Amino acid sequence: MSNDAKTMTIWQRGLRSDLIACLLIGLIAVICFYAMPSGLSLLTRIIAIMLLVLSIDLVTGYGGVATLGHAALFGAGAYAAGIAAAKFGITDPLLMLLIGTIAGAIAGFLSSLVILRGHGLSQLVLSIAVIMLAREAANKFSTWTGGSDGLSGIAPSPLLGMWRFDLWGKTSYWLAVILLLVVFLILRQIVRSPFGMLVKAIRQDPIRVSAMGAPVYWTLVKMYVISGAVAGLGGALSAVATKVVGLDALSFELSAEAVVMLVLGGTANLFGAMIGTTVFIWFEHLVSSVNPFHWLTIVGVLLVTVVLFAPRGLTGIADQLRDKFGKGGAK
Amino acid sequence: MRKLLQATAAIALMATAAGADTIKVGVVGPFSGSAALQGRNFQAGIEAWFALNGKTVGDHEIEIIYRDLPAADPAQSAALTQELVVGEGVQYLAGYYYTPDAMAAAPILEEANVPMVVFNAATSAIVNASPYVVRTSFTTWQTSTPMAAVARERGINKIITVVSDYGPGTDSETAFIKAFTDQGGEIVQSIRMPMSTTDFSPIMQRIKDSGAEAVFAFLPAGPQTLGFMQSYVENGLKESGVALLAPGDLTQESDLGALGPNAEGMLTTFHYAVSHDSPENKAFVEAATGWLGNANELSFPAVGAFDGMHVIAHMIEATGGEQDAAAAVESVKGLEWVSPRGPVSINPENRHITQNIYLREVAKEGESWINKEIQTFENQGDPGWVAP
Repeated sequence: MSNDAKTMTIWQRGLRSDLIACLLIGLIAVICFYAMPSGLSLLTRIIAIMLLVLSIDLVTGYGGVATLGHAALFGAGAYAAGIAAAKFGITDPLLMLLIGTIAGAIAGFLSSLVILRGHGLSQLVLSIAVIMLAREAANKFSTWTGGSDGLSGIAPSPLLGMWRFDLWGKTSYWLAVILLLVVFLILRQIVRSPFGMLVKAIRQDPIRVSAMGAPVYWTLVKMYVISGAVAGLGGALSAVATKVVGLDALSFELSAEAVVMLVLGGTANLFGAMIGTTVFIWFEHLVSSVNPFHWLTIVGVLLVTVVLFAPRGLTGIADQLRDKFGKGGAK
Repeated sequence: MRKLLQATAAIALMATAAGADTIKVGVVGPFSGSAALQGRNFQAGIEAWFALNGKTVGDHEIEIIYRDLPAADPAQSAALTQELVVGEGVQYLAGYYYTPDAMAAAPILEEANVPMVVFNAATSAIVNASPYVVRTSFTTWQTSTPMAAVARERGINKIITVVSDYGPGTDSETAFIKAFTDQGGEIVQSIRMPMSTTDFSPIMQRIKDSGAEAVFAFLPAGPQTLGFMQSYVENGLKESGVALLAPGDLTQESDLGALGPNAEGMLTTFHYAVSHDSPENKAFVEAATGWLGNANELSFPAVGAFDGMHVIAHMIEATGGEQDAAAAVESVKGLEWVSPRGPVSINPENRHITQNIYLREVAKEGESWINKEIQTFENQGDPGWVAP
């Protein structure tokens, strides 16, 4: 076994661990499916937000771009898929997802042109401006977007003509799980590729990277487009699963909450984004059904606790534990 | 082994049959966050209904399951609704403060075999989203339209409309303009303010310059309205006799204390005033404030919830506690009763409530400010509803 591992290239070894991770995620998905048949639409929602958080991880965690406006890309995907279905009669769910992904990528490209002009604080402000503009635009063009009443009348046809989007949310759940696995596998390859390494290097020292002759600006724009596609897919998934798109998909609150989830889970490794989202929404859902009247306070306490005691997020704790106990042992 | 399984299944079935005596009603509303007071009014309405009618209908006990939705969030609304239906097994859905939330919940009703009674969300199109939607609140069209007749009766010819730029605001604007121009009035200008406007002085200046005799306004209840009214008075518009007309959202009773003298004499049209003079309303207000603990917190969502419970109780009675959404909805079509707001009925065509709309004037009674009803427009339907 260890001999095998030695003869494998780094790439192959990486791919093997990715496949193991995928199996693990799939296993968790199956367990969730049987353990909570009534919570499938919550789980689908978690996965849709997870895609948004993953996409923020790409630009913030890996690229070091500070943004509080990423929901603009999520919303672009949601509205594009929703408008395609409600106004143009494109009800094939896979086509809707594709349209959402493309819209997200385009929105990512456009917003990166604005956001990457700034650095640090000014970048943050620009990103907030982007989300505010996007929201106001969606509110203004209410004949297309439904404005603050939300865009309704989205009726996706059965998936592949075989599986109807049912009340229990089984179809959308499995669709979401498969999308998550595919996105996860692709993103793992991207962040490990030379391009991904370059993006990481830019976060550490952009001046040095440009001195080496690599294009800093356009590399980040490229990453932003990829990130936009992932966020757009998340938005489209949310539109397909809930059949409604509202202005909240383009809100500053969603952007900020997604960043909080990323910080909670830990940045710059894709697992953190997934764990953070799950824990955050799960916890929120749990306390809000136990006490629908005062749950926000409890969520606040959780966040303060994590920031105080685990500033590197939940995966940061896992890393620390591994460093502590794994040193003397086998690799 | 097989027998054992069968026995277990039989026992499980019997347990659910026995459990059917408790009928669960899922209520989705804003119970935390900035609109928490409106959610509390949902609760107050429900609790008032229980206090006056008891928690049982026939031998079925009603159990309420609350779910919190602090802001308009359709994705979350769909998730909560699905979980209430599939996980909690609710037989009725109710509540829904914001339009997008109600819209998101509507598509699953038919498959779930569950009727939905909307306690608040006020866009005309909601009842078209599913044949199982019944609404006991009002629509913005319904409360805005009579104001045009009021303005004409008072000899007002030129009006400027000023609304917040979001769904209910534009609904209100369109409804008023249509009714007012139909009756021969003239709209000199229409201003839509961004939702985040806090400085209203430039707006007041434009009102002054427009030469209008009156302003028709719509803003979401709460801090914005307070700022708007303050600015209206400070800029001398009230003094110079430019009347301010609006639907009753702007002068909801829970805001009147803060609005105070600024709103004195202001005319609004709405479906319910806490001060409505009837024995039904007296009993309702007493029960609802008894639960709230503070008389100043009672506002219009409570009466929507109270009448919503009346409708649900009627549905339970008509179906004998069976889960049959089609029969339940059919049974309340054309239903008439006397609500705390006056005589009401459910329009069989669109399942929306037909009710009196009252013209009210903000006045001081003793120490507190009230909406004093001075004119009644009887049996108003929803002029904004368009058959699908």
